[in-house]
Amino acid sequence: MNGPEDFELEAAELVRSYVITKGRRLPDEDQLSLITLVTAAPEQVQRPLRLSPEEQRLLDVCSAGYLSVAEIAGHTRLPLGVVRIMLAGLTEAGYLLTRPPVARARLADKELLEEVLSGLRAKFG
Amino acid sequence: MTEYIENPALWALVVLLIIVIAVVVRQRKAAMALRQEITGLREYYSDLEHHYTQSVAAAQEQAEEATKTVLKSAMRTLQGLAAEQQLILSRLQAKHGESVILQDLLEIDHTNSQFGRRAQSIAVLCDGWLGRHRDNASVYDVVRSAQGRVRHFRRVEILSQVDFGISSRAVEPVALALAELLDNATSYSSPDTVVEINIRTVPKGVAIVVDDAGVGMNDEERARAERLLSTDRVKSVAGLGNPPQFGLAVIGVLSERFGFEVSVDSTSPYGGVRAVVLLPHELLTSMPEKKAPAAPMTRSSVPPPANGPEPVPGSPTTSDGLPLRRRKRPMAIVPGSAPTPLASARSGAETAAIMGAFQRGTRSGRAVRTDDADQTSSTRGSSSEGHEYS
Repeated sequence: MNGPEDFELEAAELVRSYVITKGRRLPDEDQLSLITLVTAAPEQVQRPLRLSPEEQRLLDVCSAGYLSVAEIAGHTRLPLGVVRIMLAGLTEAGYLLTRPPVARARLADKELLEEVLSGLRAKFG
Repeated sequence: MTEYIENPALWALVVLLIIVIAVVVRQRKAAMALRQEITGLREYYSDLEHHYTQSVAAAQEQAEEATKTVLKSAMRTLQGLAAEQQLILSRLQAKHGESVILQDLLEIDHTNSQFGRRAQSIAVLCDGWLGRHRDNASVYDVVRSAQGRVRHFRRVEILSQVDFGISSRAVEPVALALAELLDNATSYSSPDTVVEINIRTVPKGVAIVVDDAGVGMNDEERARAERLLSTDRVKSVAGLGNPPQFGLAVIGVLSERFGFEVSVDSTSPYGGVRAVVLLPHELLTSMPEKKAPAAPMTRSSVPPPANGPEPVPGSPTTSDGLPLRRRKRPMAIVPGSAPTPLASARSGAETAAIMGAFQRGTRSGRAVRTDDADQTSSTRGSSSEGHEYS
């Protein structure tokens, strides 16, 4: 039934990405951007068996502390959008916590830091 | 006595008797000849009839073969194109994973899978090509593959998993048969109901149970389904009706050829149909090695974990060989990107460049194992820095 020539060709992945995302839509950019930080929810000890292997893996990756969405995607080797959809789903289900990227907050502190610095200079310098 | 002899009436009687006898004998002969002729004709007729049936059957068979051959090669082309398009879509999804286009790419992918499945089903009925070679895959993945091939895949829920794999030759047939079952289950139940899949280990192997909440089947339909699934195969593609009902015929052919059992004769707890696919031990393997899921990404230069350097002893690693970070503090703050100059607010282009550099960094980190430990510790260091800043 299968000719030998058929085996030379590469087959696409068995499980397609849209099945992994369960057909959900991409989350909003402001809800989950490339540099949003994500970590596993601390109280979550036991995971339900209903999660797919990909979701389990995301939780594994996230359990080590806050990671950016981009970094998580790098770990899983899935398309970034697919990872974002899954992360959004897991966050909604309460398995993950997200927080906005810290970089912006740090920039807002610049003047305060400069004040502190000048204060220190005035005192010790 | 003489008076009798001389009596002409007697002579007339004798003559009459002789004539009658002669006539009777002749008639008898004629009747016999006729009878023989009739038997001859009858034989001839049945002979003719026999030959006629034979030649009609032969012609039908020939026509069927011709139809099958044409359909088979036509489907082979379509299947090839669908498979090719699937590969292109995988590549595009990896390439534009960060873009909003991904949404549409996923939808095209879904349509393409359904299209491929239809062609594949027709090919199966024509003894055609089943698809490209597959590796051993977990039962769960095969079920999900089947799920992805039906229109209403969002309504399908997989409730349980088992730690078994399906051997490579049975992956496609089981996925296709299950897809046809799921297609029936989702088509014959209302759009707001869920089709449940339970995967269980049983003494005979692994059972995949599909329960729908549809209206079920009446006795007649059930009998027809059983017939299609068991002995009385649909011999011809022409016998599938209009619109053609491929599903059960395809399942029947596949289950017979690859040695698994499918039954649809029970009722689901929700009043619909319960379909059970029973995979015998011959088709099962142990759980296949967990590979990097999906997408043969553009970064194929990354060596697979098996060929990579040996992991540092004592350090826990993830399944693809990356060092696993342990949480030390409940909320370590890791900056979202590489250390950045604090002096000025960043423009969009700068942010993009930084993110790019970051991605390249993680990529090279995956490529070279020995650097990983350093990288982790440096990230750890920068995390404490970040903590002090905020």
